[in-house]
Amino acid sequence: MARVHKFRISSTRSNDLVCRSMAAAEAKGTMMRRAGHYCGRFLELDGRMLRNFGTCSYLGLDQHPELRQAAIAAVEEYGTQFSISRAYLECALYQGLENNLEKMTGQPTLVAPSTTLAHMAALPVLVRDNDAVVIDQFAHASLHAATELLRDVPVHLVRHSRLDQIDELLQKLSICYERIWLVVDGLYSMFGDFAPFEGLGALLDRWPQLHLYVDDAHATGWLGTHGRGGALMQLGQHNLHQHKRVVVALSLNKSFAAAGGALALPDAELKVRIRRCGGPMLFSGPIQPPMLGAAVASSKLHLRAEHSATQAQLMQRIDYALAAAAQAGLPLATHHRTPVFFIPCDSVDEATNEVQWLINEGFYVCPSAFPAVPVNRPGVRFTITLHNELEDIDALIEAARARGHTCGACPNVEATKWGLIPSKA
Amino acid sequence: MNRADALDKTLRQMYAVISFPEGGEPDWEGMKAVFHPQAQLTRVTPEGIDHFDLQSFQAMATEMLDRGVYTAFFEQEIARREHTFGSLAHVLSAYETKRSPEAASCLARGVNSIQLLWEGASWRVLSLLWDEAMPGNPFDLKQLFAAEVSCG
Repeated sequence: MARVHKFRISSTRSNDLVCRSMAAAEAKGTMMRRAGHYCGRFLELDGRMLRNFGTCSYLGLDQHPELRQAAIAAVEEYGTQFSISRAYLECALYQGLENNLEKMTGQPTLVAPSTTLAHMAALPVLVRDNDAVVIDQFAHASLHAATELLRDVPVHLVRHSRLDQIDELLQKLSICYERIWLVVDGLYSMFGDFAPFEGLGALLDRWPQLHLYVDDAHATGWLGTHGRGGALMQLGQHNLHQHKRVVVALSLNKSFAAAGGALALPDAELKVRIRRCGGPMLFSGPIQPPMLGAAVASSKLHLRAEHSATQAQLMQRIDYALAAAAQAGLPLATHHRTPVFFIPCDSVDEATNEVQWLINEGFYVCPSAFPAVPVNRPGVRFTITLHNELEDIDALIEAARARGHTCGACPNVEATKWGLIPSKA
Repeated sequence: MNRADALDKTLRQMYAVISFPEGGEPDWEGMKAVFHPQAQLTRVTPEGIDHFDLQSFQAMATEMLDRGVYTAFFEQEIARREHTFGSLAHVLSAYETKRSPEAASCLARGVNSIQLLWEGASWRVLSLLWDEAMPGNPFDLKQLFAAEVSCG
C-alpha cells in the first residue's frame, strides 16, 4: 500500500527538477563546494578563511581534544575499519557506547550506522501489518525514504505540525488500524522549529493507538539531560504511560561530533528485535573504529556533570543571536531557542545574492531553496554553535543588517505569518 | 456589466482563486465558478508538459501541498493583451508569483495563454496554458506586449 498519493508525480520528473535546481545553485557557487582547511570556528573557501556559521556541530565537540585522542587510540587498537557485519561480530567499542547512551537517554538504546540507517532499520520492524503511518510533510528526507520501505501499510502525509489535521486523521485511521505511527522531527533542521511536543503529548493521551517516532537528530547533545534531546525530555520515560509508545532516533553525527545514529526504545525487547532483523543492522557496514572511539569519548563528556554548563553556554549564544537579530530588525523564520536560524528571502536569486555577499564579507552561511524548503520559502540558513564567539555573531548580524532588509517584510509580519511560538523566558 | 468588464472580472477572479496564504489552499469552489467544467489546464516545464482537467489539477496541486512543495502561493497579473470575437476571448496574460503580496521581488515570472467562453452572463476559462521564464526562455514584457502594457 505505502504512500497514499492523491496524484502520482513521476520519480524521474522529480529528480530532473531537483537536478536542475541544484545545478543552478552549483553554477552560482553556493552549493556543492569544497572546503580547504577547517578548524571549527573558521573554514577555508577559495583560499579565504571564513567564519563558520554552517556547521551542525552545535557544541563544537568536533575539535575537542578528548574526542581526537580517542579516535587516534581506537585506530591504534583496531585499525581503520572493523569490516565485519554486526550480524556476525561487532567491535568491542559498541558495548561501552551503548551502555553510556542508555545512561544518557534513560532507555534501552541501540546504535546504528547512521540516523538514516536507524530509520531504515527501525521503521519496517516497528510498523506491523495492521498499522498505519502518518508523516509530517517537513519530516527529514531520511524519514520519508524509510517510509517508502513500508510496502504493506498506508502512509499519509500531514501538513507541517498541524495537530488538528493529525487529530482528524487519527479519528479516521483508528477505526481500521491497530496502531497509528506518527513520524516527525523533534527539531526541524531548516527553519529551526521544534515539534509541538505539548500537543503531541495530548494526542498520545487522547489516542491510545497512537505511537510516535521522532527523529531528534538536531537536538541530540545540546538539549536535555545528558543531551538526550527535546523529544525524550518532553515525552520520554518520565511520562510513564506515554513513553512506551515513543521511539526517538538520535544522531551521533552532529552535536555529538562522532558518527552513527541511535534509537532510544521503550523496552529492551524492541531493541533486541530491531538488532536482530532491522535491515541495515545486518547488511550495512559498521561504524569505523576511530569514530566509535570518538563516540565513546563524546558519550563520556555528555555524562559528566559539567555537560549542562556546556549546554548553557550554547543557549546563551542562541539567546544572544536572537536578541541581536531582533535589535537589528532582521526577519527570522522562527524564534524558537534553537541553534538553527533562517532569514526568509523573496526569491532564490535574492537568497543566493545574500549568501554570496555574506561569503564575500567573510561568513560561511548556506542558501536554502527547493527541494530543501518549499518553493515559496527560499532564504539564508545559518547556525549558532560554540565555535562562534560573541564577536563573530555580532559581526554576522551587523553584516546582514548592513546589507539592507531586502529579504522579506518586517519581523512582526513574519512572526504572524508563520505562526511563531515565542521563546520561553 | 458589459462583456469587457465581465472579462476583466473573470480574469481577476482566476488569479484570486489560485492564490492562497500560508496554511491555505486554492479556492477549489471558486475555481469551479471561474473555469468551465470542460476546462483544460496545460503546464509547460523544462521536465515535461502536463495536461490536466479541473479534477486532476486539484489532485496534483493537493499532492504538491501535502508534500510541502508549496505552502503558500500568490500569482499576480502584471500585463495583459485581450482579443475577443463574439463568444470567444483569447488573453495573453503575464504574471509573477510571489511568496507574499508584499514581497519586493518575485519567485517566478511567466505567461498564461487563456481561452474564455462567453456563457450568456459571464466569461469562463475554457483553456489555460502556461510557461515560465527560464534561462533560455527570457521574459521580455515589452517584446510580448509592446505598447499594450497595462497593469492588472
